Amino acid sequence: MALFSPALPSTFSASCSKAQFPQKGRLAFFPKRSLSLFVARSADNGTGTTGSVAVEVNPEKKEEAAAPVAVEEKPEENKEAAVLESNGATVKTEVPPPKFLDPRWARGTWDLEQFRKDGTVDWDAVIDAEARRRKWLEDHPGDSSVDGGVVFDTAIIPWWAWVKRFHLPEAELLNGRAAMVGFFMAYFVDSLTGVGLVDQMNNFFCKTLLFVAVLGVLVIRKNEDVENLKKLVDESTFYDKQWQATWQDENAGGPRPE
Amino acid sequence: MDNCKPCGGAIPLCMVGEFDLPQDIIDRRVRKMKMISPSNVSVDIGRTLKPDEYIGMLRREVLDSYLRERAEKSGATLVNGLFLRMDKPAGPGERYRVHYNKYDGRVVGEPATLEVDAVIGADGANSRVAKSIGAGNYEFAIAFQERMRIPAEKMEYYEERAEMYVGLDVSPDFYAWVFPKSDHVAVGTGTVTHKGDIKLLQEATRNRAGDKIDGAVTFRVEAHPIPEHPRPRRAVSLCLTAQGGGPGGAGGDAAGYVTKCSGEGIYFAAKSGRMCAEEIVRGSENGTRTITEADLRRYLAKFDKLYWPTYKVLDVLQKVFYRSNPAKEAFVEMCADEYVQKMTFDSYLYKRVVPGTPLEDLKLAVKTIGCLVRANALRNEMKKIGIYS
Repeated sequence: MALFSPALPSTFSASCSKAQFPQKGRLAFFPKRSLSLFVARSADNGTGTTGSVAVEVNPEKKEEAAAPVAVEEKPEENKEAAVLESNGATVKTEVPPPKFLDPRWARGTWDLEQFRKDGTVDWDAVIDAEARRRKWLEDHPGDSSVDGGVVFDTAIIPWWAWVKRFHLPEAELLNGRAAMVGFFMAYFVDSLTGVGLVDQMNNFFCKTLLFVAVLGVLVIRKNEDVENLKKLVDESTFYDKQWQATWQDENAGGPRPE
Repeated sequence: MDNCKPCGGAIPLCMVGEFDLPQDIIDRRVRKMKMISPSNVSVDIGRTLKPDEYIGMLRREVLDSYLRERAEKSGATLVNGLFLRMDKPAGPGERYRVHYNKYDGRVVGEPATLEVDAVIGADGANSRVAKSIGAGNYEFAIAFQERMRIPAEKMEYYEERAEMYVGLDVSPDFYAWVFPKSDHVAVGTGTVTHKGDIKLLQEATRNRAGDKIDGAVTFRVEAHPIPEHPRPRRAVSLCLTAQGGGPGGAGGDAAGYVTKCSGEGIYFAAKSGRMCAEEIVRGSENGTRTITEADLRRYLAKFDKLYWPTYKVLDVLQKVFYRSNPAKEAFVEMCADEYVQKMTFDSYLYKRVVPGTPLEDLKLAVKTIGCLVRANALRNEMKKIGIYS
């Protein structure tokens, strides 16, 4: 445990410093959660304490190294690799590989009873827990036969929980954008042509422009999306072109496929 | 003919019927498959299989020697040799001269030549015949496999079961597998984009299989390229003058007939070889007339028409579901659906793309979108955790 306590304040400070870029509103939310998870792991994993620390320290230090100046990355990573190795040398001989531990995770699925809040299941917490589990497994991919296999199916989370959590904020954003673009364009067209808003709506060309604006806002959400869309169009016909290559240079005559 | 081809070794049910394969060359009949997602969600597939349906697992050396012996009994001449190069025909009516090393029980080959009217290459992904006829190159994936023996009680688990692991850790654009063979299992993985990391991917595969292959002893390591698409020119006329002269062609892996998504090639290799041979027989009117490139192109047209839907569907599946970890999670979730399983097995076992009922297709489309949306939403949550924790 002595190894563990210095690690904790550093992760706390790391999470606080990083939280400054996006979504300040969530600041209070996450560090508390990560704290509880660490406590859970150290409490349950008696003999494996050194093991979990070796694993936990690694991603935190990597995050720290990634954010600030690039120059410092190499020496910090080397140091962290050395720490891991010295830990790893002892870990390998004594301790089994790290397991995902959470008091609400049992026998390959989430125990929904433990997620109850005011009598109903708190689906947001289930989504959070599952995201956390997947993140952990992505960082430590491992044995698939643990717990007799995972049987959790995300489809049991009702559709409205997903809509409320993911669709609504994005929809708000996109509707806001569409409204701003629409207002400005209506004003612009009115100032240029003198056609008021009601008359614009009756005009076919303006209705087309409106349609294009809405579609554009839906389809192009980030700058990268323009490139991605072009790539998608190429990709969808690439395989066909590879197959048709045999028939491209046909000059000797002969039957063509349909 | 003395080498042992590295191969997954899975054949669809229709191959047994179409090629009259005897039951004793099939080592195992796989009826259950387990798909395991990046977050270890496992799904069992095979509930919809009828009792007489299975995926046959066999050893290539057994299958190949059976087919060769059968061909010889039917009148073919077997030559145990290593193709080196061939000389193109000098003019109309001239033949190819094939240079090869003859083995025939010897250890060191003796150079020899053979004059033939047409050459069809079925010599695999690194085909020398294809190179000689200038068929062009293709992109390829590399498949790496370790054959290992595991203790008997663990082998029981794999009695009729094959496993497929998906995830960025085991393969960024393909899948990893544990396939049962005669008395051992084959554990392997493959990739197109990260060929240099194949050993790391293989270690991750062993890690994921974990306890199930505990105590395994590896006795053979194999690797081979898998073509990703057909070669640009699968049938050519190589005569030095403008017309006439025999054609050169390719079939199977040499032509690049491996599907995407599942990487299946044995059936298409055998079928393309048979179709090509049938066209040659018909075109030459049982050996009385010389054949030309047009005859081979007829075989290509038939093959493309028959199997193009299969290849295209698998390509679309690969593009949609092997893109990223959330897509792979969605893929595994989709495989739990009975309709999906039924359609998949119908098209795999019998090599037909069945249209299915419209209502079920619509429900499937909605479910697919749902799965993809959920998995991507969770992925966004995971990214946030990555920043904050």
